[in-house]
Amino acid sequence: MKIALGILQMVLLVMGAPLLRGIVGRLKALLQRRQGASVWRPYSDLWKLLHKEDLTPPSASFVFGLAPLLVFAASILVTAFIPLLADSALLGSAGDFILMVYLLAFGRFFLALGGIDGGSAFGGMGASREVLVSCLAEAPLLLGLVAVAIQSSSVSIVGMAGWALGQSFFNISAVHLLAFLALAIVALAETGRMPVDNPTTHLELTMIHEGMVLEYSGPNLALIEWASAIKLSAIIGLLIAIFAPWGMAVASSPAGIGLALVVLLAKTFAILVALAVIESAIAKLRMYAVPDFLGVAAAISTLAVILTALMKR
Amino acid sequence: MRVLECPLRLINFVGRFSPPVFVQTEIAAAKRCLTRASLLLATMFSVAISTGCNAGDRGLLNSEVRRLDPSVLAPFPFTFSLDRLGLFFLVLILAVALPVLIFSVSYVSRHYTPARQKWLWALLLLFIASMVGVVAASSGFAFLVAWEIMSLTSAGLILLEGSSGERRHNLFIYLLMTHAGTAAVIASFLVFLPHSHTLDFTALRAAGATLPHGARIALFLLAFVGFGTKAGIIPLHLWLPRAHPIAPSPVSALMSGVMLKIAVYGFVRFAFDFLPGGPAWFGYLVLIAGAVSGLLGVLYALAVHDLKRLLAYSSIENIGIIYMGLGAALIFTAHDARTWAALALAGALVHSLNHALFKSLLFLGSGAIADSTHTVDLEKLGGLQRRMPVTGSVFLIGCCSIMGLPLFNGFIGEWMILRSFIGGSTLVNTNAQLVLPLMVGVLALIGGLAAACFVRVYGVAFLGRPRSAEAENAHASPRAMRVGTVMLASACMAMGVWPGIFLRPIVSLAQSLVRAADAPPETLMISHVIPWVAAAFILLLGGTALLKRVKRQARTWACGLPGLTSRMQYTSNSITKPVRFVFARVYKADRTLQMLPEDRPYFPASISYHSERTTSYERSLYRPFVDGVMAAANQLRRLQTGNIQVYLLYIVLTLVLLLLYLRFAG
Repeated sequence: MKIALGILQMVLLVMGAPLLRGIVGRLKALLQRRQGASVWRPYSDLWKLLHKEDLTPPSASFVFGLAPLLVFAASILVTAFIPLLADSALLGSAGDFILMVYLLAFGRFFLALGGIDGGSAFGGMGASREVLVSCLAEAPLLLGLVAVAIQSSSVSIVGMAGWALGQSFFNISAVHLLAFLALAIVALAETGRMPVDNPTTHLELTMIHEGMVLEYSGPNLALIEWASAIKLSAIIGLLIAIFAPWGMAVASSPAGIGLALVVLLAKTFAILVALAVIESAIAKLRMYAVPDFLGVAAAISTLAVILTALMKR
Repeated sequence: MRVLECPLRLINFVGRFSPPVFVQTEIAAAKRCLTRASLLLATMFSVAISTGCNAGDRGLLNSEVRRLDPSVLAPFPFTFSLDRLGLFFLVLILAVALPVLIFSVSYVSRHYTPARQKWLWALLLLFIASMVGVVAASSGFAFLVAWEIMSLTSAGLILLEGSSGERRHNLFIYLLMTHAGTAAVIASFLVFLPHSHTLDFTALRAAGATLPHGARIALFLLAFVGFGTKAGIIPLHLWLPRAHPIAPSPVSALMSGVMLKIAVYGFVRFAFDFLPGGPAWFGYLVLIAGAVSGLLGVLYALAVHDLKRLLAYSSIENIGIIYMGLGAALIFTAHDARTWAALALAGALVHSLNHALFKSLLFLGSGAIADSTHTVDLEKLGGLQRRMPVTGSVFLIGCCSIMGLPLFNGFIGEWMILRSFIGGSTLVNTNAQLVLPLMVGVLALIGGLAAACFVRVYGVAFLGRPRSAEAENAHASPRAMRVGTVMLASACMAMGVWPGIFLRPIVSLAQSLVRAADAPPETLMISHVIPWVAAAFILLLGGTALLKRVKRQARTWACGLPGLTSRMQYTSNSITKPVRFVFARVYKADRTLQMLPEDRPYFPASISYHSERTTSYERSLYRPFVDGVMAAANQLRRLQTGNIQVYLLYIVLTLVLLLLYLRFAG
């Protein structure tokens, strides 16, 4: 039963990921008073890409073809850590958040290498910017999670969710607020959303993620796009699980899980609305203002960790 | 300055006359060398394995396992024996030495004249044997003799590569600093002497428990400085980025991979074995020194584009990570949280082993690059993956390991250290509760920067288009060179995928060193989870690879230009420019950029750029020190009048003072 639930959660995160992108796109369109594409559009994009041919630059080595596979596999593995409907996940009790964060880094590293392997100017440009953002985002991401881990005395995401479930919403401490703020900022950077990167642009002056994947086409591009969609869904799932898990099924009865699913969808939708509002309201930061933005996250998460020590006294 | 010139002259002398000593037919001699090398290796391995089995059976730290006692040769106790700590480092040495020697078989014969080859083999084997001697020594005298042979043979090996003026200068700095470090190590042994009366390790261990507080502090600080110099802790690292890149590649691999670990061994021996327990600030000192070395080491690595120099800086970074683990272990021991201490110490030891494997792999890889393209300048490389597929793949594995990606061995050690930092929150002491969890952020930043650094190294050297004709015409390495690197790479992967195979003995070693009753449960967890994750990963990878697809090669669109050239790619410098821009403060000390006129920065009439060749450490730390020593020496010169009556007066005065001392103090 637990395993079935774990697999169901992974399937939700993996298969539902493109839908989240579609919904954000549609919401943004509505906010900008455009018609917008259907929310199912990302699925048809993936389907189309999967049936096109793979174009490889003449200078590319095996890394170019291997990178999308690794990125995709790593992001699917990340979903195995995240509890969605109940406080359990396939790698829930055994895998800790460090392993999860490093798996995310795994994908990113190979994506950057794939970008450089194309041998064009844009790949290197994108890779260069991506490693800047990711090396600065790593510290606040881990520190934010450390603060929550100390607070809940558990290093697994499932344990953190379980601990938060036992608390009342109004008992939530400043540590959680600070950690949430830090992780929300990091989440924007990690998923390449608006103040850090613009997912809809192909302008060489600004692009980060799109620059790296510029040489990819066909199934390879489909895998990369799907993987980054999964990353978005996984990180949203992570934020919900450790900061607002209320509504998760306690007993794994079909009815409880159905209810949990409804609550989860509502919470996800709320986050997507927030994301769409942020992306419509805020302009993209200048490249060299991004470190300051992430520095704020690092400062907040440091504060959260310091608070955990002070609150124990 | 006369005195300073002496070692230089000596080096010069040896460098000039050493190579043509033997004159023999080349092939026969080379074969004989090889036979001897393999014989020696076989002996070392059989000794290691037999002692290893014995140690494993008895499972004791403090009991002598095999004792070799050539004390007749010396007036001091001169004994060798292996305990578990020594055994661990012996395994580390031999695990790296074997692939390196295999690599050298073809590397050496391709790069050196037959006469030099003989010197190289002799010194290389002596170098390895001396490191074995250091970890097997069980008395201070034997330790120091082996330690000194280790320093000198490595210097000799550097000299074999060439003896131009600049190389001799770098070598001089290496010799000078390594001997300053040795002096501190000798001093730390001497601090023991009044309390232990002999330099035998058993006596030192017994004396360590009852040492007075002041002696304990002096001992710890001396050991920290002495071994820290050899390990390359910033700011004692000055020699490391100078000496490691100029050695022959197999020797660089041994120096970075193994010799630095010997220094770690010495420090662990002193800080954990001889001096059980100490104030918590010992730990904070080591922790902060490690954090500074880690952060600055990787930042400097980002700024250089000589591959071997970059790897040397990255060694400083990894030693920093190891010292962070050791520092955490000391803090935990001071607060009597021994299970956590065992985890932190085991993490440091595991990272030592891992770093030995992947750093020697990367150095051997850079040797293969140099062999094929005659350069290790990243700006001249590119596209090597297609031209040297085996070297490229093993180098990629090395890069993944050094960044600590899961499923590669580098992850295991970093993970254990990170977990022990989080464990710091369970202590009752507020300082530790604050500092240790925050170190997670520092280590994460180091890891992120290392990722940036090695994305650049692998991406620029092996991917994309070649940036020079040499890289364009690169060829695959000879078989022995490939075999050596493949061995190391497979060890990295095997340990990363199945950490259970090596984790248990290391954890129990760490447990006995910090006297912890229980094994940290975290290590069990990681060795259970990682194989499953690896299996799932491979399954997913295989599943995705089955995807049906049509492949076609197509030229990249060059924005309307006739075609892409290698000059349109990002260079090694430009890839890390954003990171260096963010951390500009670190590099600022050594370079100045001036725009004229100053009030119009965007429309400069002239730009002047100036960068210092000496680092800021030399200018602001070492230079004043050396100047001070010279000034003091000049003052002391006044004593030397050259008048014999004055010297007689000195003798009489000394005699009187000594007599007075005996009368009143003795």
